[in-house]
Amino acid sequence: MPSSLVATPMLRVLVADDIEASRLHLCQLVQDCGHQAFGVDSGKAALAQILAQSPDLVLLDLLMPDMDGFAVTQTVRALVSERWLPVIVTSSLEGEQHFIHALQGGADDYLVRPINPALLEAKLRHYARVLGLQSRLAMLAQRQRDIHDNILDAVLTLDDQGQIQESNLAALRIFGDGTQRLDGRHCDQVLGATLADLLGQGEIALRRFDGSRFPAELALSQWNEAELLRYTIVIRDLTERRRIERMKDEFLATVSHELRTPLTSVLGALGLLASGAAGALPKAALPLAEVAKRNGERLSRLIDDILDLTKLEAKQMVLQMRSTTLDALLREAMTANQGYAGRAGVHLKLELTAPSPAVRVDTDRFLQVMANLLSNAIKHSAAGDTVSVSLDWSDTRLRVKVQDQGPGIDPKFRARLFEKFSQADASDRRAQGGTGLGLYITRMLVERMGGRVDVEAASGPGACFCIELPLIDALAQRAGPWLLHIDNDLDARLRVADWLSPLCPVQGVADLQQARALPVQSQPPIIIADPQAQGSADEFCKALQHLSQGRGVILFSDAVDDAFVRRLGLLWLQKAHTGREEMLGAARSALVKANQEHRS
Amino acid sequence: MSELHRVMCVEDDPDIRMIIEFSLATVGGYEVCLCPGGQAALAQAPIFKPDLVLLDVMMPDLSGPETLAALRLQEGMKGVPVVFMTAKAMPEEVEDLLQYGATGVIVKPFDPVTLPQNIRIYWEHGRGIAHD
Repeated sequence: MPSSLVATPMLRVLVADDIEASRLHLCQLVQDCGHQAFGVDSGKAALAQILAQSPDLVLLDLLMPDMDGFAVTQTVRALVSERWLPVIVTSSLEGEQHFIHALQGGADDYLVRPINPALLEAKLRHYARVLGLQSRLAMLAQRQRDIHDNILDAVLTLDDQGQIQESNLAALRIFGDGTQRLDGRHCDQVLGATLADLLGQGEIALRRFDGSRFPAELALSQWNEAELLRYTIVIRDLTERRRIERMKDEFLATVSHELRTPLTSVLGALGLLASGAAGALPKAALPLAEVAKRNGERLSRLIDDILDLTKLEAKQMVLQMRSTTLDALLREAMTANQGYAGRAGVHLKLELTAPSPAVRVDTDRFLQVMANLLSNAIKHSAAGDTVSVSLDWSDTRLRVKVQDQGPGIDPKFRARLFEKFSQADASDRRAQGGTGLGLYITRMLVERMGGRVDVEAASGPGACFCIELPLIDALAQRAGPWLLHIDNDLDARLRVADWLSPLCPVQGVADLQQARALPVQSQPPIIIADPQAQGSADEFCKALQHLSQGRGVILFSDAVDDAFVRRLGLLWLQKAHTGREEMLGAARSALVKANQEHRS
Repeated sequence: MSELHRVMCVEDDPDIRMIIEFSLATVGGYEVCLCPGGQAALAQAPIFKPDLVLLDVMMPDLSGPETLAALRLQEGMKGVPVVFMTAKAMPEEVEDLLQYGATGVIVKPFDPVTLPQNIRIYWEHGRGIAHD
């Protein structure tokens, strides 16, 4: 490295020599080179000063009466281990043998007496540079360490076996008792998650030192250290984010309640006035009451839409997925929207040819989707037009089509149709009284039900919206593996079914007896279960392992503890702390494994 | 009794109470007893002997479900149909409310013109359940 990059620092040099004249002379030479010197007259004094003054370098006479330079060097190496203290031995003895002996004993260098000032100067400059470089490196390393330790997220580096190579302070605080290093321990033991779990990335439930679980978001990078695989994982605790989401949720529920309460009085009073229930209104006043009522109703729809939207975007909307055919639901949707169609002078027509195969939907939300599409179609129809709804299906998918005879959709607008607050133009919003959220919510709902919605390219006049849903048989064929949830708590079964049914078929039962009564399937299930109220937890879990035939058992329970699940080697998610994403993550991992076995 | 006559309405918002009274009494022709909260409803029920109770869900003293549970303990109130009114309109919330044993749920804002007819339907439905 060019010397200009590393300034040569001034050294503090300890000179140990029992003969005063030569000691003073040597001190003078050192000072002449631009360094600081302080002398001692014995080996023991040298050791004392090394400890007290921490010199940067020692010039050591090999021959001293109390303790010779060989012994001093060896003691220095033992005493000063955390830093490098260069020792240069000096002697006026003939030959090189004693120098070789000193170098073997731990000395760094030697100088022959009488000392050549130019040689001394060169050596001191060399050591000053090396020490300067070394302290600079130490500073950089410390700086990196400080940055690492001041990251709020836990950062762990693992080897390809899941053993922890390095951890920062945040990781120590979360996963350790704060004193004990995590290095060398296995991630399973420290985080309560296997390397495979961690490599799955995304969201996962990890275990703190105190045993509690928390939702965490993982960001993982893979790299090589001298051809050895390393994983560096940044772990963000989502507890606080979840708390804020809950607060937002409660806030929204309150706001919507507070908005709807006055709206109830406003719309109620207007409805009674407009209906004439409170006496006939003057002819000129009636349209005014109608305007107020219509806009109050629009405000009410906007509140509903915003609430739906918020829940959908936060993935907090709970869907009650059921197997059903759509025929009856479509009839219900037509009836529900008949009033609006009638007022607009639009005919609704349902074209059902043959009984349709079953799909999985949330019936209320499906009706909401149909209401959105139908009211949209009616809104853009002229009096006398027909809006027709039809069904067709292939081997795997079922399509619901809503066709109108309106002006159709501008091809330029087609791409943005299902986005938030997207209406063909602002004037349209005003004329048609929509919120701009309907189609966006429709898309989100249909996607949550495992389908998709699109508008068909113009093949004639009018617009044709199309919902596609996977058929149940197709679902079963595609997934192969299935999930069996055993829990005597109905709420938990509904919750898990809602979370996991987009992933694969989920069968919920209350106990083992019901599980064994199920029709025999071609494959053993992946099991999610709660030993609560199922008799002996040990026997229950052994029965689960038998039933799953190695497909994986996940305990979803607050009734077991860490020691128990570790003993049986089962995955464990706490009911109280596990949300949709964590459960999905766990189930997905089990499914991936089962799918691999299924194929092989 | 084969007709719906006496409706008790429990609602903490005075303006909504007025709208409901107008709707049920003037439009529907029912005899209406208005209560500003759950406690008042519990005190009035044995005197008024309602055929049906219209019950707000979120109220400061007793919540709707709490009021329903307490009403069910009263003699003569066990089989009386109860319909909840709520400004929370999420389908799963509606289902939760039905689990408490209500006959129906009316979502706010409601239409005061059709309210008398709608509670009559709930009343017929609720009587059916009570007689089973």
